[in-house]
Amino acid sequence: MVTIIDRTLTTFNTAGITARDLNHFCNLLFTCGVTKIELTPELVDLLSFPVTATGLKQWLGGRRFFLTQILPEPLTSDSPGMKESKPLWRLEPNELVEKNIPVSKLNSRYHQKIRIIGLEDLMTRDYPAVFTALLNSGIDTLDLCPGNQQHCATAIALEWLLAGGQSISCGFANHHNFPPLEEVLMGLKLSQPDLFTGDLSVLSELRDLYEKLAGQPVGKMKAIIGTDIFKVESGIHVDGVLKNPHTYEPFNPQTVGNQREIVLGKHSGRQSLLYKLDELELSESTAHIILKHIKSRCTQLGRNLSDRELRTLASEVQNDKQTEIYC
Amino acid sequence: MTNRQKYIVDTTLRDGEQSPGMAFSIREKVTIAKSLDALGVSRIEAGTPAMGREECRAFEKIKLACQKAQIIGWNRMNLSDISQSIGCGADIIHVCVPASDLLIREKLRTTRSQVLEKLSACAAAIHTEKRELTIGLEDASRADWDFVVLLIETARDLGATTLRFSDTVGIMSPSLCKATISRIPDNIDIEVHMHNDLGMAVANSIQGLRSGAKYADSTLFGIGERAGNCNLEHLLIATQGQLDFGINLDELQWRQADLKSIIYKNKLAYA
Repeated sequence: MVTIIDRTLTTFNTAGITARDLNHFCNLLFTCGVTKIELTPELVDLLSFPVTATGLKQWLGGRRFFLTQILPEPLTSDSPGMKESKPLWRLEPNELVEKNIPVSKLNSRYHQKIRIIGLEDLMTRDYPAVFTALLNSGIDTLDLCPGNQQHCATAIALEWLLAGGQSISCGFANHHNFPPLEEVLMGLKLSQPDLFTGDLSVLSELRDLYEKLAGQPVGKMKAIIGTDIFKVESGIHVDGVLKNPHTYEPFNPQTVGNQREIVLGKHSGRQSLLYKLDELELSESTAHIILKHIKSRCTQLGRNLSDRELRTLASEVQNDKQTEIYC
Repeated sequence: MTNRQKYIVDTTLRDGEQSPGMAFSIREKVTIAKSLDALGVSRIEAGTPAMGREECRAFEKIKLACQKAQIIGWNRMNLSDISQSIGCGADIIHVCVPASDLLIREKLRTTRSQVLEKLSACAAAIHTEKRELTIGLEDASRADWDFVVLLIETARDLGATTLRFSDTVGIMSPSLCKATISRIPDNIDIEVHMHNDLGMAVANSIQGLRSGAKYADSTLFGIGERAGNCNLEHLLIATQGQLDFGINLDELQWRQADLKSIIYKNKLAYA
């Protein structure tokens, strides 16, 4: 089982974070498959543990540490009245020493718990050889946190784990140029479905909370967590998705707490429009005229047409047609 | 590693514009194409002429406005679509061939043998008009490898100059990409078309190029279906000093900044 460390909270401005939001954020991270959450001392003070939790809070002083989860023993009886007990949280010291040095200079004599940072250019180098050197370095605990300045951190993280690496550090939504947590988790889920146990359906909720805490929006097309990634407009794709969604979807939208939506725009075909008219219980009789208007309006507006706008447009076209008939 | 000289096929005006909510007017399409041409993009996929009269008009104007780049017309495996692309004056006629059984069976409701027959008919029509043919294997990353090999051999026999390998739903990993592209015989130019569903389009494109691909598909700002396509700017950043696309990163950045208001009319879409 690999260790997934989330570092998102270590770079937040803690001033505006409430204990409730912090606890909820940590809960969601654990639910989606994170093994350890890295925290600062300020956040420890804010964190309200579940009643039964134990920890090292006072002992730690000003050091950083990890929040981990202890899963309860599975219930042995299904008799009425048995309640599922909640996981416990525990603090442990973060003893990882960060290194941004060439792999050849790593020396296992000095540090037995190392986090390698940097390595952002690894994808244009012989990365399998670098991973082999790291794995053979003799270091006990080797965590990788590649930078995302070259937009390849997810790939480096996943290739590291596939090569036999046991620990990776990430940040939600590409926070602070850490490998995007949600991409690494989905990559693991798709490549090792039998081993991955996280529930990614909480990712949408996690995104909303992240936006609130970080004070910045996540891109609508952001891989895995963008709100619009399962919107389908173009006629060719709508045709495929209506026949079998798997044709143009890498995974079911519900897996990440999202949902598929057929939208109308410049690239819509007749089939998309008929689908929407049926969905909104509108007449199909003037579909060809409506489609023409949709294409030109969406080109002007540079966006899709909402359901309300489609109702209005359908009504206008219908009225125009009736006027033509009766005049 | 293979040759450092590589080429960009920009598909902002075709796959990029298919992103929900994206819509360019004729004038905007021409502005984007002229900028890509000046930048040094070697091939511009300007659209799908079969979409209708407006798309054809845009296509013709782009063809006139661009000085150096070859202009690609994208087509389904359909003689009527191909006829439209030829009529618009495309330099390259690209034929998209569903390669996975999932697409062949579920979307086209046809068979592998019918796909091969249709492809042959399309190639004949293109050669009759003396146009360059390129063939794209849609959903190749989920296709049966034996059929992929058969399609590659067919493409070569039909006189296609380039074979586009598409990771249509963006599920490849760099190591898989490397292993797959390395297996393609080198008697046809290879183009990689990577989607960003797992956030690995740039890394996968790099591995495709390092494994023998000559062309990489990309879009401005990485726009495209779902989580988008390979982002041109990101690809250039990641390969600086390693691969040469004949494109200056600084110039791309200022040109892209100039085009931002055209591409993102709805400002909330960009982040």
